[in-house]
Amino acid sequence: MASSAGEGSGSGLVDTDDYESLISTTDAELLKQAWRNEKAAPEILRFEASLVQRSREQIQLMEETIEEYSKNGVDALTVSLYQMDLDRTMFLLRSYLRTRLQKIEKYAFHIQKTSELWNLLSKPEQTFAIRCTDDMGQLFEQSVLSKLPDRYKSHLKQSVISEEDDMVPEAHLDSFVICRCKRFLGAFQLDETGVEKPVDLEADDLYALRYKSIKPLVESGQVDLV
Amino acid sequence: MASQSDPHGSAFSAAELEFLAEDEMVEIVPNIRMDPLNLISGDFGPFRPQIATQVPLWLAVALKKRGKCTIRLPDWMSVEKLTQVLEAERDSARDFQPLPFHYVEIARLLFDHARDDIPDIYMVRSLIEDIKDVRFHKIGTGLEIISERTYAVKLLNLSAMEVNIVRPFVAKALETFYKLDSPEMIQDAERRPDARTQAPDRGPRRPLRPR
Amino acid sequence: MYGKKASELVKEFASSEPGQLSAFNNDLFSQVLEECNGHLLHLQSLLRKMQEDGPDNQTSRNADHFGALMHHLSIVRNKRCLMAYVYNRAEVIQHLGWTIERVLPEEIEEKLSNPEKDYFKNHSATLQSYMSELDLDLAVDMVPPKDPYIKVRVLEEIGNVVLSDQFANLARHAILFLRRTDAEHYISQGLMEELSS
Repeated sequence: MASSAGEGSGSGLVDTDDYESLISTTDAELLKQAWRNEKAAPEILRFEASLVQRSREQIQLMEETIEEYSKNGVDALTVSLYQMDLDRTMFLLRSYLRTRLQKIEKYAFHIQKTSELWNLLSKPEQTFAIRCTDDMGQLFEQSVLSKLPDRYKSHLKQSVISEEDDMVPEAHLDSFVICRCKRFLGAFQLDETGVEKPVDLEADDLYALRYKSIKPLVESGQVDLV
Repeated sequence: MASQSDPHGSAFSAAELEFLAEDEMVEIVPNIRMDPLNLISGDFGPFRPQIATQVPLWLAVALKKRGKCTIRLPDWMSVEKLTQVLEAERDSARDFQPLPFHYVEIARLLFDHARDDIPDIYMVRSLIEDIKDVRFHKIGTGLEIISERTYAVKLLNLSAMEVNIVRPFVAKALETFYKLDSPEMIQDAERRPDARTQAPDRGPRRPLRPR
Repeated sequence: MYGKKASELVKEFASSEPGQLSAFNNDLFSQVLEECNGHLLHLQSLLRKMQEDGPDNQTSRNADHFGALMHHLSIVRNKRCLMAYVYNRAEVIQHLGWTIERVLPEEIEEKLSNPEKDYFKNHSATLQSYMSELDLDLAVDMVPPKDPYIKVRVLEEIGNVVLSDQFANLARHAILFLRRTDAEHYISQGLMEELSS
């Protein structure tokens, strides 16, 4: 499972500096990054399975440490600082998972039928998504669809005439996001057709861009959404 | 049943921006002796009286609230530096001076919790306010140049809060120009309900307009 | 005018406060459904007529064809509006699932249709089941944490107590930092007061 810090981008842009910054980046930092990206991206991103796993282990360890410290009479100040650190990490983890669930709630039908998106979900998220579509499907059925004429009963299609699913809400990949490059990325083609002039993406600069045009850079961890 | 709600209206709440700012490092001078802290967010300390050390802002504020340290004012927050920044901000109608990404939140947290560690606090506070005002005004006039010729906007040196303020506007404006210029607009509306407004990945043919 | 009622329904939702629900508009909703059935009858009779006329009658076939198409599009239009109404309300209900315990307050419940009440129940259960699978409560920590400790002054002698994170001697006049959750109980009894930092 790729962590968000640039591994596996396969673009040839990952050099040794990146590798060093990768190994020196703490999980806390990575979790914060994953949270930011997930909050700012219009669509659901890949579930950071190993990062979440590691974070939960650290949280558990910290809970044990705090319990032990307070039992052993370590001073209240130290204990409270550990507790605050734990609270901050818990918030990030919960908010990260929550943000993902809220996207799944919103786009459940589309995610379920799009395998590239479906594969970005964790197992529990997949279960959640299925139940979301069941819940919503039942609501549609009872409120509207069962009362409509036969050929108009689908929640995915407007009518049996529709060739494709034309009633499924999905994320707007054309929406604009604000991002920051982690390092100089050089001239970047924002537009696959090559009609646009490439844009120089420089380290630490902020840009407002169409999400779709930088999606691969977000996925490979070369830019952060802010 | 396309949902037209804009997920980017406010990606981060004010409280979330403050939370992020609290991870910025500051220098403190402890007045206590305390072992190193091996936190999830990193290892800090050891803490020795009168020996300065770097900690994240939340930790600095927690210690400060309990009377265990003084916080050293970051360099960029000195009256001298801020005066320079303010002058430079006023001198240029377009450019923004480099300041920490969370300068607004950091300054506010320090004003709230470390008043007695800030020499000339009234001066510092009013300089920060002035800088904020000049920059906000610039953002306002800067946004006027967003036009149908804008394909992407470079937001050099904007801070987190400023980004949050311009986000809904810039995003909406650029999106609207993008849509207006998209081949989608002239396609048969009946066959393309608004739930699927994705154009082929071909933006409006506009050059990047640097700011 | 065809589709007018449906658009009223959508407008009604759009004009409500974001995140707030008004009562489910049963009247208008069923009127739109009736309209759909009316369109279907017209559509069916036109289709029958086209079949009976056979392929020869070019002119009348065109008129009937477009008439049928119009009724079809009206049904589709109405359907989209009905679905949008239900879907957008469901999004508000989803949000309630995050913020409200499993039982809805009466003033909200009475605004929901029966299927919506079921939906709230089902969807809350869906959320709960995800959380128990992860063994993690996601309905807390909705906003970033602040320092959970507050500075208090003990007003009355309380003595040695076991708090959630420490043993403390709560002697009269002592000033100390306690977890807000520990202190609240004493503060409400007037045994302590919170000091601003």
